[in-house]
Amino acid sequence: MTTDLSDYVASREAILDQVRRILRDTMKLKIEPQAIDPDAPLFGTGLGMDSVDAVELVIQLDTVFGLQLSGSPEAFLKIRSVNTIVDAIMEMTDES
Amino acid sequence: MSREDEYRAIRHSAALSRMDHVGLLRLMGDEVMEAVDAVCSGDLWVRDSRMLQTLILDDRGQPLADVYVCPDDDACFLLVEGITSEELSALLARHVDPELDAELEDLRPDHELLSVHGPYAWEVLSKWLTPDIIGLPYLSFYRFDRGICFRAGKTGEYGYDLMLRSADAEEVRGELLELVTSLDGAEVSLEALDLCALENGFFSVRHGSVEGLTPMELQLQWRVSTRKRFPGVAAMEQRRARGIGRRLTHFVARDEVKSGDVLRGPEAPVGEVMTAAFSPGVGGVVGTALLDISVAHPGIDEFFASDRDPASPIWTVSSPMLLNRSLLVDPRRHTYATRDGETDPPLWQGSLP
Repeated sequence: MTTDLSDYVASREAILDQVRRILRDTMKLKIEPQAIDPDAPLFGTGLGMDSVDAVELVIQLDTVFGLQLSGSPEAFLKIRSVNTIVDAIMEMTDES
Repeated sequence: MSREDEYRAIRHSAALSRMDHVGLLRLMGDEVMEAVDAVCSGDLWVRDSRMLQTLILDDRGQPLADVYVCPDDDACFLLVEGITSEELSALLARHVDPELDAELEDLRPDHELLSVHGPYAWEVLSKWLTPDIIGLPYLSFYRFDRGICFRAGKTGEYGYDLMLRSADAEEVRGELLELVTSLDGAEVSLEALDLCALENGFFSVRHGSVEGLTPMELQLQWRVSTRKRFPGVAAMEQRRARGIGRRLTHFVARDEVKSGDVLRGPEAPVGEVMTAAFSPGVGGVVGTALLDISVAHPGIDEFFASDRDPASPIWTVSSPMLLNRSLLVDPRRHTYATRDGETDPPLWQGSLP
């Protein structure tokens, strides 16, 4: 693995791990964080989050990462799966 | 009707399709949920008139069937893809206590399933059935005089599956097709639905081979209980204890990539393509690859399909890939006739290699 790829994966996995823990705690899931698949849908099917969970998740993402999501549909698109959340955090980090 | 036209109907307006590939079954009796629980891998926390997606696994922990469980008083409807009603009956006979009060009925001879998908599918159903259908929550169902309307779908758009008596199905199909075409929609094939499922990251028993793969590699752990016994549970427990070496990851490519193509990184092979198809929405190929767990992440632009000449680069991406219209269309404010730029941004917000 090249250094750049190795660094990218390490950075991504660190954020992924944190987001999984936030989801587990937000939804009070009694599973290991690793059991939350990165591409599992968060709403509807998948983890089956509801609007209350979403509010709590948005607060946690702001508190832990400084990721600010408005109530717009576009903002909702950033929290469709664990991976889309990680994308948004990495994008924010790259921009700052 | 070209595949692109079918795709456009699903992604931009409304699409009608026959769901002949879906098994329609009903379990009846006082202990139907215990019987379903014995064969399905997920925790069946689902109320009457709601639907739950789960799997049936084989003894090696590999998915045999993709199942919607739909409890309804002392019955439970099962919408099943991947196995026949005879195969499901055999599984129930093998895994369910014969003393349980649960009798399986194959509804197929007397019933058919039609579906309407698309960002304006709700508009079709509100005209054909009732305006109240707009309030039907995702993964729930509604009885009406000619059958049952299931709000489901695996395209990322609004989706409704209508279970109808066979005697009514052809007439209803004509009525729905008229409404669908009035919105510039069309009747679409299973292949078009499968492409949309692939773009939105829905599991399909028809997407590539699952040989050797459990829900852990397939990112379907949310459909597998850690609390109960079910067919394949021993294999799942072993896989959990051992960990996985590969994981399903989505990708896009500009050029042709096919199932089975070897994927290489800068230094070594990293996996292989499972499923790939041209996506009109993306303007390139979308697919899934089974990648080494060390690199099974989105956002990587260093891999290429080495079987191609020249080698075809791929970029790994997060799922779902598309900005589905159905996320932006609000039935309280929009109609197909009054759609505007607010509801019609590009489906694909990314770029291609």
